[in-house]
Amino acid sequence: MSNVILFNLTTVLFGVASALYLGALYAKNEKISAVGTWVCVLAAVVSTAALGVRWYESYQMGIGRIPVTNLYESLVFFAWAVNLFYLIVERKYRNRTFGAFVMPIAFFTMVFAVYNDSSIQPLVPALQSYWLHIHVITCFIGYAAFAVSAGVAVMYLLKARQENAKISKGVVGLLPACKVLDDLVYRAIIWGFPFLTAGIITGAAWANYAWGTYWSWDPKETWSLIVWLVYAAFLHARVTRGWHGKRAAILSIVGFLATIMCYLGVNLVLSGLHSYGGG
Amino acid sequence: MADEKRTPSPMDRVWDFFISVKLAIVTLIVLASTSVLGTIIEQNQPPEKYHQIYEDWAFALMDRMNLFDMYHSAWFLLMLVLFTVNLSCCTIDRFPKMLKVVRNPRTKLDGGLEKSLSLSDRWKKKGNLSEWAAKYAEALSGSFSKPKVTEGGGEVHLYAETGVASRFGVYVTHLSIIIIFIGAIVGNRFGFKGYVNLTEGDSITQVPVRGGIAMQNLGFTVRCNAFTLETYPSGQPKAYKSDLSVIDGGREVVRKTIVVNDPLQYKGIWFYQSSYGQAGGATAQVTVARKDGSQVRTLALAANEPVPIDGYGIVRGVDYAQNFQGKGPALQVVVVKPGQPAATFWLVQGRPDLDRERGDSLVFSFRGLSTKMFTGLQVAKDPGVNIVWLGCALMVIGLMMAFFLSHQRVWVRLRKGTDGRVEVVLAGTASRNRLAFEKRFEKLQTGVKAAGQ
Repeated sequence: MSNVILFNLTTVLFGVASALYLGALYAKNEKISAVGTWVCVLAAVVSTAALGVRWYESYQMGIGRIPVTNLYESLVFFAWAVNLFYLIVERKYRNRTFGAFVMPIAFFTMVFAVYNDSSIQPLVPALQSYWLHIHVITCFIGYAAFAVSAGVAVMYLLKARQENAKISKGVVGLLPACKVLDDLVYRAIIWGFPFLTAGIITGAAWANYAWGTYWSWDPKETWSLIVWLVYAAFLHARVTRGWHGKRAAILSIVGFLATIMCYLGVNLVLSGLHSYGGG
Repeated sequence: MADEKRTPSPMDRVWDFFISVKLAIVTLIVLASTSVLGTIIEQNQPPEKYHQIYEDWAFALMDRMNLFDMYHSAWFLLMLVLFTVNLSCCTIDRFPKMLKVVRNPRTKLDGGLEKSLSLSDRWKKKGNLSEWAAKYAEALSGSFSKPKVTEGGGEVHLYAETGVASRFGVYVTHLSIIIIFIGAIVGNRFGFKGYVNLTEGDSITQVPVRGGIAMQNLGFTVRCNAFTLETYPSGQPKAYKSDLSVIDGGREVVRKTIVVNDPLQYKGIWFYQSSYGQAGGATAQVTVARKDGSQVRTLALAANEPVPIDGYGIVRGVDYAQNFQGKGPALQVVVVKPGQPAATFWLVQGRPDLDRERGDSLVFSFRGLSTKMFTGLQVAKDPGVNIVWLGCALMVIGLMMAFFLSHQRVWVRLRKGTDGRVEVVLAGTASRNRLAFEKRFEKLQTGVKAAGQ
């Protein structure tokens, strides 16, 4: 399966990029992280090609379906989205230090994916729907945005400790100013939140079309609601009560932990209707 | 006035409680954390199952707290009500204020306002005050609304804005949540959900609802003509298909083969493919012919069920083999004729003439097994569902308005300076995304300054 070879190559590239970004921080060398950027761009090309090849190969096998239907595929799609989101952030904020905190998320996601079944299986009847495409894509763009937010929140916490101590040396000294990080934590969430909302809505619409009920308090549905509520609390705290900085960063990390629970925990730990992602 | 500072009445206190964002944040967090419980404790299982997992005292405690059906419990619903009341009160409190601000913006850039704005610039120009005002108004209207001009006291004020809709985003979002709840309540009150197993060839006019404690009349008849299960070459299920007919007023009005994700709808009632199974045991089709080949009849033999043939004897199908001695599917039958010992023999499906070898007066041929299937149908009527979708659409639109639009306002003040030149102040602010607005403001600065040169 050539798509799996391409995904394995992507994993290596994400690993190399993470190492370069981290190395650049330790060596305080911008040039190393510039190479990291090119590795990320290459990884974006390879992983996009891998998704395309996998899609094509599913047609070759007479199955013919979008590659976002099981755990392996959702993991690689998530990593693909995180990488892309990261490249946009890097370009917009003109700072490469984000890479050391965001790219490892993409890398470890791919490593986890490698340990899962990568074969292309035909779709069970419940998944044969056009809602599948839009539901999975909206959810994972949301998840990717939350991943970026949480990565930057970690950066914020490191930076804030140093700014409080009035030091600007060392590895952390290279990070963007607290103000910029704090803003990015928030901005990534306001991108993720509408996508998560759309993901929940498309999921409800699909459930209604497949099972005749748009909400049944299934563990997956409930956890998606929990994630939604946490970020809704974040947004209210921030916009109307001026929660900035540390408290906002911690809430962003809590939100991402809830996201991981919703995405992986529900399938691996709990049982319910929505058990496709676990296979 | 300071001496009018009085203690708030209890009514005010209640109101203040319900309009606070703090309450909203607490409710959101409490809803989120309590919701976790229902994902850890499996919901709506039979009591025996819970007794296996939990100690008696834990079971009693959890049962009392309705933790086995917590999302429909009084305390959870109460929290949702609190959430909705909070949401509504916040809207009632803030919406008119926002509307007032939007309708009557501060069009004059006075000293106090100027100080509160983070972005501002000032410069001086030679020439006529009103001419400059006209030029700047022209320059502003490029990327903002047409400026409002206020004159008075030797000063000219220009005010322009863009993205006012962003102020409404949060209210659209909040309204959407209330609409979704209304849709859910309408569906709950005026709709129903049921489940029925329908054997091939059978019809229903009503379905059991509310877990089977009540029957709901459909007002028409639904018949299952056939159920088929398709598999991939690997044996995994590919499609569950139910061929359904709707009979209304004595004639078939709709016929549709439904699959998962493609239901049938008639008069607002939806039928979803949900389950399937075998209805009763299999029956074996056996044809009976005379020696000359003329057909006598076809038998449908259920397992071990004796079937008499007049003037001959009694036939029973006693065993079935998927692959009998490498010859394929076969049926073992026992024939008992009056006054004779029972004869037991195999009929192979692929060899209809095999039984001739027995030399009996009648020749039996096994034509195959047939199994009657039933289809499991989820039946639902939800008149509130379109209200829910309306709310969902509004929610996405509201979020987009709130997050991706920004209410940006700019002011220009022109005044005759002591040196006879025109003193100009340009200032601006944005409701959100100030970093992006800073860039826009810089552009505006150059644009406005370049005007009329």
